[in-house]
Amino acid sequence: MADFLHLSLVTPEKQLVGEDVDQVNVPGSEGDLGILLGHAPLITNLRPGPLSYEKGGATTSFIVSGGYLEVTDNRVIILAESAEFLHEVDRERAEKAKSKAEAILLKTGISEEEFKDAQDDLFRAVARLEHTEK
Amino acid sequence: MPNLKDIKRRIRSVKNTQQITKAMKLVAASKLRRAQKAIQDARPYALKLRDVLNHISARCNPDLHALLDQRDGKNILVMVVTADKGLCGGFNGNIIRRSAKLIAENQDKNLSLVLAGKKGKDYFKHRSTDITHEFIDWTREFNYAKAQEIGDLLAQLYIDKKADKIFMVYNEFKSVMQQEVIVEQVLPVVPEPLDAAKETDHVPEYIYEPDEESILDALLKRYMTVQMYRAFLESSASEQGARMTAMDNASRNAGDMIDALSLTYNKARQAYITKELIEIVNGAEALKA
Repeated sequence: MADFLHLSLVTPEKQLVGEDVDQVNVPGSEGDLGILLGHAPLITNLRPGPLSYEKGGATTSFIVSGGYLEVTDNRVIILAESAEFLHEVDRERAEKAKSKAEAILLKTGISEEEFKDAQDDLFRAVARLEHTEK
Repeated sequence: MPNLKDIKRRIRSVKNTQQITKAMKLVAASKLRRAQKAIQDARPYALKLRDVLNHISARCNPDLHALLDQRDGKNILVMVVTADKGLCGGFNGNIIRRSAKLIAENQDKNLSLVLAGKKGKDYFKHRSTDITHEFIDWTREFNYAKAQEIGDLLAQLYIDKKADKIFMVYNEFKSVMQQEVIVEQVLPVVPEPLDAAKETDHVPEYIYEPDEESILDALLKRYMTVQMYRAFLESSASEQGARMTAMDNASRNAGDMIDALSLTYNKARQAYITKELIEIVNGAEALKA
C-alpha cells in the first residue's frame, strides 16, 4: 500500500499536477469532499468551485470549472474542464463573464439550451469571484 | 549540345522552387512546435479519461447507455481525417489508401463516409461511396468546440441507428519524422478487458455520486469530444511533421539538381569557349595561308 495519495489533475489543455500528496479537497456535485489515504473507490461529478491539495503542510489551491473525479487504490484522477491556480484567476474577466451571463438570464424568450449555457457560465464566474475575494 | 541560356533559365527556376520549399519547411517547423505541444498537453487528459471510462464501463451493464450498445448492423461509418493542403509527402496518400482498403474490406456492408479535410474529399467525391458529412478547412479553425460538434454528430448518428459501427482513420503523431495511420473504432465504445486478478485484489464496487447512469452519460459525451479533439490534434501535428520532412527533402533535392545543372552549365560554357578559340585560330590560320 502506498503511503501517499497520487494526484493527477488534468485538463484538455494540459496536465497541471501529477504528484504524491497528503489530502485532496474537491467540490463534488453533491457536496465538498476531502480525500485522504485509503479512500474507497469513488466516481463523482465536480461542480465549478475551489479545489485544493495539501502536501507536507502546504496547501495549493485551484479553481476548477466542473469535471470528474475518480479515486481508486490511492490514485486520485481529476479530469477538469478547465483549472487555474487560485492566484492566476483573472477577476476582471470573471466579472465580465458574470454580468454577461446575468444579462442573458434576465432576457425573456431564450431557449432552454441558452438558459443552461448562461447558467453554467454564471456558476463558473461566481466560483472564480467568490474564492478570490481576499 | 545543351543551350547555355536554357540551362541558366532552369537553374534559376530550380533556385526559385528551392526558396519556396525552404520557406515552407520553416513555416511547417514553427507550426509543428505549436501542434506538438498541443498534442502532448492533451494526451494525459485523453488517456486518463479513457482509463476512468474503462473502469466504469467494464463494471456496469452495457444496456445502461446507448453508446455502449453493441449491435451487428450493416451500417458502417468511416471518418477519414486528412489535411486540407497537399505537399506533405505521403501524409494524405497513406490515409486515403488505408481508408480505401477498409472500404474494400467492408464491400458487403452499408458504408458511408464522414470526411474531414479537403484532400479526402477530393479523392472520395468521384467515387460512389456515400458521403454523409464533410468538414473542410477544419485545420484552420479547429478548437475544442469544433471537436464537440463533430463528436456530438457522430454520437447522434449512432443513437439514431444510422450507423452501427463508427471507425476513424487518422495519422498518429509518433515523432517529427514518423506518423502512423491508425484505424480506430470510435463507437460503440468497447471497454478494454480488465486484468481479472488485479480487479479482485483492489477494486470493489465504486461509490457513485450522484449515480452511475448520469455519470456515465456525461463521461461518454466528454469522451467523444476528447477523442475527436485528440485525433485532430494528432493529425495536425503529423501533418506539419510530414510537411517539414517532405519540404526538407525537396530543398535538398533542389540543391542536388542545382549542383548537377551548374556542372552541365560550366561544361557547356567551357566547350563553347574552346569552340570559339578553335574557330579564331582556324580563321587566323586561314588568313595566313
